[in-house]
Amino acid sequence: MSSNDGGGLMSSAGLVRYFDAEDKNAIRIDPKTVVAFGAFFGVLVQILNLIL
Amino acid sequence: MGWKETAEPVLTRMPSVARPEGHVPFKRKLAWTAGVLVLYFFLTNVYLYGLGTAGGDIFGRFRSILAGGQGTILQLGIGPIVTASIVLQLLGGADLLGLDTQNNPRDQVLYQGLQKLLVVVMCILTGLPMVFAGGFLPPSPAVAQGLGIGLMGVKMLLFAQIFAGGILILYMDEVISKWGVGSGVGLFIVAGVSQRLIGGFFALPGIGSEQVGFFPSWILIAIGEQPIGSLFGAGLQQVLMSPQFGLIRLVTTIFIFVVVVYAESVRVEIPLSNARVKGARGRFPVKLIYASVLPMILVRALQANLQFLGRILQAQLGNGMPAWLGVYDANGQATGGFFYYISPIQTPADWIPQLAGSAASAELWQIALRVSVDLTFMVVGGAIFAVFWVETTDMGPEATAQQIHGSGMQIPGFRQNPGVIEKVLERYIPQVTVIGGALVGLLAVMANMLGTIGGVGGTGLLLTVSITYKLYEEIAEEQLMEMHPMMRQMFG
Repeated sequence: MSSNDGGGLMSSAGLVRYFDAEDKNAIRIDPKTVVAFGAFFGVLVQILNLIL
Repeated sequence: MGWKETAEPVLTRMPSVARPEGHVPFKRKLAWTAGVLVLYFFLTNVYLYGLGTAGGDIFGRFRSILAGGQGTILQLGIGPIVTASIVLQLLGGADLLGLDTQNNPRDQVLYQGLQKLLVVVMCILTGLPMVFAGGFLPPSPAVAQGLGIGLMGVKMLLFAQIFAGGILILYMDEVISKWGVGSGVGLFIVAGVSQRLIGGFFALPGIGSEQVGFFPSWILIAIGEQPIGSLFGAGLQQVLMSPQFGLIRLVTTIFIFVVVVYAESVRVEIPLSNARVKGARGRFPVKLIYASVLPMILVRALQANLQFLGRILQAQLGNGMPAWLGVYDANGQATGGFFYYISPIQTPADWIPQLAGSAASAELWQIALRVSVDLTFMVVGGAIFAVFWVETTDMGPEATAQQIHGSGMQIPGFRQNPGVIEKVLERYIPQVTVIGGALVGLLAVMANMLGTIGGVGGTGLLLTVSITYKLYEEIAEEQLMEMHPMMRQMFG
């Protein structure tokens, strides 16, 4: 199996599909940033809720 | 060459999560998955800032498959992702996109970008009416006064929060897809449904849960704390159909588990042999639920969106809503009109008047009409979306034939040519897809009619079992690769 078929046989796994191909222009986000932002956002809203 | 060139600058620049460079060890993958899952559970417990007394859940019983939580940051759940996917499936199924996602990397980038852009659009389209129309997320007057921005300002704040939550879900899914095991969307569905299942089975009295679980209820019955009527009278109905401890619910839940696991193994296997290496043989399985259960969520989401539309209309028109369009009770449930007939059966009480008690107002023919509309919708819709799903995810005969040919395999006894493989696959894949889709639709309606433990619904249960099964397969494969690094080269 070649690796360039983009996981075609397994593509039923998710509702959103991701391919290997990526554009040079695309903005890349570190996965840690996503998790950190999520946690930060949650805590922020929680704190706001506590203040009022 | 129209829309592609026009949209390219936007679509190619959609921010995406970086791909891992090289192999990610299995333990790290598990850690990412667990981390995102913890974050997900945390966020479903953070209530929106500025929310007044909570209104009813707009998703109602669809909540269990759309994930997220009413009144929390994750109010939208995976709704926008699913709705965006419906649009993509329809466009792809009608071949309006003209994207060759199998061979052309440029088109793959465009597809990814379009997918993301649609989700963002859907976050706005579903978020706006939730906050600004219908009062499903009422703003808190206290916060408005405290900040001095008026109710409108608080509504803006609410919208900003659920919008951010919707986008977060999208990126959390991407993190899991690229760095973790399985897909985020699947994981969130499983998480939500499992949570309800556990609650439905084990919820103890007195820990703040609305309902006592199945097993504690039976213990209470056994020690005489929970009175039930005579088994020859009203008691029998209770024992069988009660939402809390009804035996039929247990049977349905187990039945769905068994059927899905069995159906996963029902397949037509097409023998393959390697063109160069003699003796290297393989099989290509065409599974009965080939397109998996995932398209089913699209059908349900379509129904959910129609109901959503109905409630928005009702909130806007109020009593001016014509009766043929929809009549709503105090709980926001449709009890008559068009929106009643297209609302799916969710519990046994929806179609057995005796169970609904005093709330029952529908005539028998009305119930029959509603059941048949739901059944038709799910069976036909299931089949149609399964076909579209197979087409857009490159699982159709043509795409599969190319993959098989590309890996150097052929069907023994046939010429080594993708066209020939396609002809053989065409005998199985379309038929199996349609039958599988219709069957899954039928199962989902049946499970809803009989009821399930914890009220998770047939679709939720089907999705959970099949996603978990896939996850198990993926983990098994992952471990195989960990143990035999050579395998990695073979599977890529």
